[in-house]
Amino acid sequence: MFLSEMKENQHGLIRHINGDSRFISRVVSMGLPPSSPFLVLQNDGRSPVLLYSHDTMIAINRKECAQIEVVFV
Amino acid sequence: MRTIALLGQPNSGKSTLFNALTGSRQHVGNWPGKTVEKAEGFFSQGEDVYRVIDLPGSYGLTANSAEEIVTRDFIEHGNPDLVCIIVDASQLERSLYMLADFAGIKIPVMLVLNMMDVAEQKGKKIDVEKLERLLNIPVLGFVAAETGCYPRFFETLERAMKKTAMISSEKICAVLKESTAVTESAANGAAEGRGVSLIEKIGRLLDGIDFGKRNSFWIASKLLENDSLVTSEVVLSVVPERWTKIKKILDEEGGLVTGEAKYHFISEVLRGISLENENVKPLSKFDRIATHRIWGKLVAFFILVITLAVSMMIAMPVIMGCFAAQGAAVPHVNEFCASLGLWPSVASFINGVVVDGLAVTIAMMAFVFSILVTFGLMEDTGYLARSSFVFDSWLSRLGLHGKAFMPLVSGLACTGGAVCGTRVLDTRGQRLFAMTLLWSIPCGAKVSVVLFLASVFFGSAAPLFGLIYVALIFASFWLSAKLFGNKLVPVNERVGMIMELPPYHKPHWKNLIKTVGRNVWSVFKKAIIVIWFVSFVFWAVSYSSDGLVTHSLLYRIGGVIEPFTQIFGMRWQLFISYLGGVFSKEASLGVMSVVFSSTNDAFSLVSRNAAGANLGEMMRAVVTIPEALAFIFASMFNVPCVLTMGTTYRETHSVKWTAAIAGYYFAISLGLAFIVYHVALWVL
Repeated sequence: MFLSEMKENQHGLIRHINGDSRFISRVVSMGLPPSSPFLVLQNDGRSPVLLYSHDTMIAINRKECAQIEVVFV
Repeated sequence: MRTIALLGQPNSGKSTLFNALTGSRQHVGNWPGKTVEKAEGFFSQGEDVYRVIDLPGSYGLTANSAEEIVTRDFIEHGNPDLVCIIVDASQLERSLYMLADFAGIKIPVMLVLNMMDVAEQKGKKIDVEKLERLLNIPVLGFVAAETGCYPRFFETLERAMKKTAMISSEKICAVLKESTAVTESAANGAAEGRGVSLIEKIGRLLDGIDFGKRNSFWIASKLLENDSLVTSEVVLSVVPERWTKIKKILDEEGGLVTGEAKYHFISEVLRGISLENENVKPLSKFDRIATHRIWGKLVAFFILVITLAVSMMIAMPVIMGCFAAQGAAVPHVNEFCASLGLWPSVASFINGVVVDGLAVTIAMMAFVFSILVTFGLMEDTGYLARSSFVFDSWLSRLGLHGKAFMPLVSGLACTGGAVCGTRVLDTRGQRLFAMTLLWSIPCGAKVSVVLFLASVFFGSAAPLFGLIYVALIFASFWLSAKLFGNKLVPVNERVGMIMELPPYHKPHWKNLIKTVGRNVWSVFKKAIIVIWFVSFVFWAVSYSSDGLVTHSLLYRIGGVIEPFTQIFGMRWQLFISYLGGVFSKEASLGVMSVVFSSTNDAFSLVSRNAAGANLGEMMRAVVTIPEALAFIFASMFNVPCVLTMGTTYRETHSVKWTAAIAGYYFAISLGLAFIVYHVALWVL
């Protein structure tokens, strides 16, 4: 499943990031490499997704969320 | 002299540290040949003099943006004696990525854990000494905004200079080996291996090449991440056959393997170092509203208006005082000059250039001050990131980050001040683009001049001009995005919003006021020169010994340029008024009242009584409707004011860019006047 499909208050793990090396570098340096645990703080289905990982609250656009594969834990 | 480079992610407090260390001994310019800001400063400690370079903020060392390329270039070729890595202690795990990305570079390092106060508020306890032992580099727990912390900073700096310790890449390399072994056994040879086996293969292919201050692991990991600088360097350093072999090993996703290994290293380091009492809480009630797609926008408007209003209330006495003092100074200057037996032109010069210029600059600094305090406060508390979050979807259509929203809206209060506010944006391209858009956003003075003229000529239809004006502003955004957008914010460098929302914390007032004060002084020094120069030009051309404008150089110039200005529907008086608008919007009315009345009124660019009751009647009598339309539309997109030119020059450090933006708006405003005038002639 993709990050955009996760619901509020669900915990997950990053599985894979699809995209070019620039995109991967940006996501990884923001604290979301594969195997990162995270908690979805807000996902209203229209706005960017808010999540918490590696000490940080991170906002990610929905389009970019659809490039991030996750697993629900 | 020793050179220290400050390296850290955005919002790590790097600039606060730089400002506190260097104070007024700093110089901000551009990196040679780059459109990236270079901040350099000096400080002394004992007998030692240090040169400090504040490297552009970036999340890692992979060279993707212009800022990251500059950062990398300086680290690799700038010969710093020490790199001081600043991380946010309240977001330690993510912030330490910069340190992990530095591992393998053979330059002495010290680590500064900034915002320890916020970390403590969040319930984190960090064992700094243990971290220092583990990393084997000097580490300091720090609060950059508190002056009391600096003696310990200097003590750690001294240790770092003596110890010359580097961050080792061995542990990350070991993590990569381990993870690769798992992958290879799981894949059972299906893939050609990942991680260290790739790194070992690449390492063997790079054997015998000297990469200066970077070890082969670092070069190999950057190759895996498709780093453009390292790739070009390696292409030039190896024979083509070897490069073909290396290229076969690389793919787009190498950054995932190295990234995972770096965070694994960070988690291992932090185990037992950082005791976290914090439970990850759901969003607070306020954050739920502040990040809501509708309520969040309303809250942002509300907070912006309130903070701007409060800071303007504080600044207002300065503005009023300036204009009162300017008016009061005139008789004293005249009297003083007469008592010395000086020519009347000297008194006129002192009043019209020196005093007027000083008064208008100090008054405008009050606007700059209030905008900078407002933005500093929002950034310091962590709210700015929330407002950027809710407006990102609007601004990303233009290629701008959501952070540009606050400066753009502040343009409605004062364009010149808002230009200074664009420094909240992370990249120089974003800043330049936001400044370009800002010039088209009218401040209160510009709106009042446009509406005053519209009501003089078109009475009750004036509000219609307001609507047309709004539509034209959006059209100008579109045009600017087409013309400058891709150059300043290249499409291939745009990544959709992935941003951190820092935790809320109390503002550090003392530090904020000090930083804003230093910035205002720096803007003042640049602005006063530009304002005095423009005042002098206007004074020189409009001066006549008997005070009659018809006897001035301006009148003669007017006669010469009229055939040209008529193309845009402006007789010379209107064109000179239009040029007066370059000084300030009020000045365009001031100039107008003088050139149309031909009286011997003093020609003042700061005249606040210019829009007198008789100006409207006087203009209606001589100016035709097509001419009025041309002037109104030209005024809409005229260069905002001389302060905006001064602050744009100060923020871009480039005469070329300031002149380019000014030229662009002259072209838009005169082009619009031309179209409107000729269409009106044809229709009416």
